[in-house]
Amino acid sequence: MRLINSSLADRVGEIIEASTADFVAQCYELYELPPLGSLVKTKNGELDIYGIVCHATTGSLEPGRRPIARGRDEESEEAIYQSSPQLSKLLRSEFSTLVVGHKTGDSINQYLPPNPARIHGFVYQCPPDEIREFGRSLGFLTLLVNTNLPVAKEEIIPAALRLMSQAQEDSHSFLVAAGKELAVMLGGQYNQLKAILGRLK
Amino acid sequence: MSLDLTKIATQASAMVARLKEGRAERQQRLHYARQIFGDEAIDLDKLRKKIAASRTTWLVAELTDGLAKRYPAPPIPADFNVIATDGSHIDVDRHRATRCYLINIGAVTLSYGDEPDAVLDSTPHLYAEDEDLVIKPSAATGREQMVEGTLLGIKRAVEECRHLSLLAGEQLPGSTTLALLDGTLILWGLEAYPDFVAEIMLGQGFLTCLEEIKKLNRDRRVALASYISFPRSTDVVNVLRVAICPHEVSDCDRFCPPPENRDCEGVAGVTDRELFMDALEPGERSALFISPSKITKERYGEHRIYFCYLRLEEEVARVEVPRWVAENAELIDIVHSLVLDQCRRGHGYPVALSEAHEQAVVTGADRAEFWQFVESLYVEEKIPTLTSAKSFSKRTRWV
Repeated sequence: MRLINSSLADRVGEIIEASTADFVAQCYELYELPPLGSLVKTKNGELDIYGIVCHATTGSLEPGRRPIARGRDEESEEAIYQSSPQLSKLLRSEFSTLVVGHKTGDSINQYLPPNPARIHGFVYQCPPDEIREFGRSLGFLTLLVNTNLPVAKEEIIPAALRLMSQAQEDSHSFLVAAGKELAVMLGGQYNQLKAILGRLK
Repeated sequence: MSLDLTKIATQASAMVARLKEGRAERQQRLHYARQIFGDEAIDLDKLRKKIAASRTTWLVAELTDGLAKRYPAPPIPADFNVIATDGSHIDVDRHRATRCYLINIGAVTLSYGDEPDAVLDSTPHLYAEDEDLVIKPSAATGREQMVEGTLLGIKRAVEECRHLSLLAGEQLPGSTTLALLDGTLILWGLEAYPDFVAEIMLGQGFLTCLEEIKKLNRDRRVALASYISFPRSTDVVNVLRVAICPHEVSDCDRFCPPPENRDCEGVAGVTDRELFMDALEPGERSALFISPSKITKERYGEHRIYFCYLRLEEEVARVEVPRWVAENAELIDIVHSLVLDQCRRGHGYPVALSEAHEQAVVTGADRAEFWQFVESLYVEEKIPTLTSAKSFSKRTRWV
């Protein structure tokens, strides 16, 4: 019973778009988005698919209905949602993730899974021990470096590494190892490397 | 070929010019109507009796508590709910392989106060059984009526009310709720149908739902109302016609048969909306009037429809309520204050109604998808799908 509750608490959304390289999930609660760069996972049968949150949006549920300004006479932003309770049902927060690996059985592979995630698949925030396990290898950096992302790599890569380092026993050596790995990958792109390393502090 | 606008440009210009010409005369009539409306010398009792005895060609509202009375907005309760339903339908298409129709009801519950919340939902229902497709008289006499077109519109109104009564039943004892429908509570369309249709749609339908809502008022407050934006009715202006009428008893056919010139033509073309736009301050409501429509008089009984006008910032709305709401000061105050509050929150139109509409709406694309889905099921079951050549021609256009 405790296990079900904890997994429910970790559930951050549900997949509404999926492809081999990425998936988009809608949050169950407005604005309750996983942080940029955080590691999340979803299941496709026996397969656990890992993704790194690389973009998030909040907007109208229906494409034809744009939100309008409502707060002129309200004292606080919260008051707007209280006086128009339907808003939280008409707006939605969603996030995109880049697929960075998968787990079959006990082994974590930091390359693309054989099948994409499934629509309506639940998305969970990974607990610290799973992040630690995932962070044992830095192969996922290849995917982050070589994929076109909706937000600059200089933002996503450091965000992901910073969060991942917090779950490590020795976060400093983790970041040093990641920095070295990036130095090899981005050998010819000094400015990009500098920007990434600068944001790792 | 799309509509050639250049070819109607001259006709449209002529239409606007005509409107402009008639404006001065309309203003004059409106001015006259306002004068009569505000005339304190009018003896209300006498006018009431004259209305009761009159035989006019137009419908005259019955007066309850006066003609030009106005009421300021009552305070808004601390915690309250607003429930609303609205519907949309896909009509029977005789060019299709199967006879069926679909009614989609959008339902909204908005809770305000300490624990604000919203439930937005829609319920589509497909009707394809024999008893859904026709209304039969219980006796041997009378012709079956096919449920399509206007009659489907009426059935939809009944379903909207049925869903509203279900929502009302979900409200907690002790709570305060405004239950809103869009448009009129008077099922005007039924006047064109035989008695047994009115009996089924009203007696076993609409009025039963109103009764259900009324009964809920034993342990909670549920104020039922319908909201008509930009109304075109003239029931109250027609009261002025009777007031103007020089005859002891107004009898249009007897005293003023066409082409006789009538005195009351001085207010012709004026709508109630225009009259109350000036007579009420924003937030105020007019006195309550009783709808003179034949169908409500004869069939609605204790649910007889009363109405008042409500002045918003930019427009005047007509709000209709059943008699049991009109005669209960607490309920009519709930209607007044909460409809106003809903319009304020919805930038001029009740937010619960606009959300119910959003939930219910069936677009052209939905319609096409629906028929495609139905036909694909036919194909799966290997049933031949016969569609008319006309329908095929509309769908496959060629040069």
